[in-house]
Amino acid sequence: MTAPTESGIDIWADDVLVDPYPTYASLREQAAVVHLPKNELYVLTRYDVIRDALGDPETFSSTSIGFNPMVNEALQGTSLASDPPIHTQLRATLSQNLTPRALRGLKVVIDEKADQLVAELAASGSFEAIDSLARAFPIEIVADLIGFSGHVKDNMLRWGQAAMQVIGPLNQRTQESFPIAGELYGWCSSVTADDLTPGSIGRGIFDAETRGDIPQGSAGHIIHQYLGAGVDTTIASIGNIIALFGHHPGQFGLVRENPELVPAAFAEVLRYWAPVHIWGRRATRDVEIDGATIPAGAQVGILFGAGNRDPRHYENPDTFDVMRNPVDHLSFGYGPHGCAGQGLAKLEAHAIIEALARRVKTLTISDEVREPSNITRSLELLQVTKVVAA
Amino acid sequence: MRIQLDRPRCEGHGLCEEAAPRLMHLDDDGELVIDVPDAEGADLDAAKAAVRVCPVAALRLAAA
Repeated sequence: MTAPTESGIDIWADDVLVDPYPTYASLREQAAVVHLPKNELYVLTRYDVIRDALGDPETFSSTSIGFNPMVNEALQGTSLASDPPIHTQLRATLSQNLTPRALRGLKVVIDEKADQLVAELAASGSFEAIDSLARAFPIEIVADLIGFSGHVKDNMLRWGQAAMQVIGPLNQRTQESFPIAGELYGWCSSVTADDLTPGSIGRGIFDAETRGDIPQGSAGHIIHQYLGAGVDTTIASIGNIIALFGHHPGQFGLVRENPELVPAAFAEVLRYWAPVHIWGRRATRDVEIDGATIPAGAQVGILFGAGNRDPRHYENPDTFDVMRNPVDHLSFGYGPHGCAGQGLAKLEAHAIIEALARRVKTLTISDEVREPSNITRSLELLQVTKVVAA
Repeated sequence: MRIQLDRPRCEGHGLCEEAAPRLMHLDDDGELVIDVPDAEGADLDAAKAAVRVCPVAALRLAAA
């Protein structure tokens, strides 16, 4: 057995989290799997190896998707942290309200809301894009969908951010976020059908539990996952859309001229800036990759963003190109645990990009602000200093 | 090669349909229908593309 090559970097160092791509490039050139002793972690860095691992849950178990034992304990019993065959039933319950066929009826409403919001912002001359668009829009959509209102809706942003943050290692960010993630956990353990708007999907999940279609007690888990997984990541993606169009006005121009490029543009935004930085697995046996062995039981970290920029898979990977249409990017994961909410994420993001293409002629951004975050890589502030309405 | 669908795993994302419109389509209920299960020649490339883009790995190719 040959041990994987080592690197002294800390994958959760502030500067790496803010701009991980130089680190990803050097790790990826070092090897497909690199041991990070500082993080007690083996990271996967190249496209093919990542995709193979995501497609092989027998070897790469999801019982350790988080990087501290407390979060993995808390996630037990969710589809996120389960392996087949138990995973299969939990996943079906989680995803039946999120599949493209289930969401088809929502498209008109989502498109209208996006158009209205973007039209208002475009007419305003300048705006801060994260609070007024990247956060406002998915919070509104997910709140409506699940049937939240009042204090729950007010807490969605901080609960959603904390739910992702605590997946990280036991650093200060995780420790500060545990009490907030606990509020979400507590609320989801006690929520009842009456707390959710009649006719909402959230209410429907409780109805399914009452009918016995899904196991008793699983409704709260599902609501937890919708909130934990569906808010922070979508916020990151929508902020990234505005920032990347701001940085690449020619690419935005292409989308304006060719609205059929909208899905390809979103796929490229996801490939270019992965909203999720790292996700965990546990090796269930000794796994040999390119002649190096990850020992059985080891914690593995999947670097989606490193795989998405692998020149072995994508030509000129560091170029943002809306014509590329990288439908096989890794940002939604892949395989049995592939993002269950990707249909909804696409509905939301496509609606925003279509509205931008229709309503905005040009936009100018000032330097964006990023705060280091353990799992999600998103913008904290993004000033659109000048927007010209179409 | 024969296109095999893991039906419980299929969530109707529809990327396969875009990759291989001659071989498969989503019906009005969003259920995937394999129209041409045995893909040879030019169809085989399309079938491979469809297998490749499925985000949940619900499609595979096996010897016919």
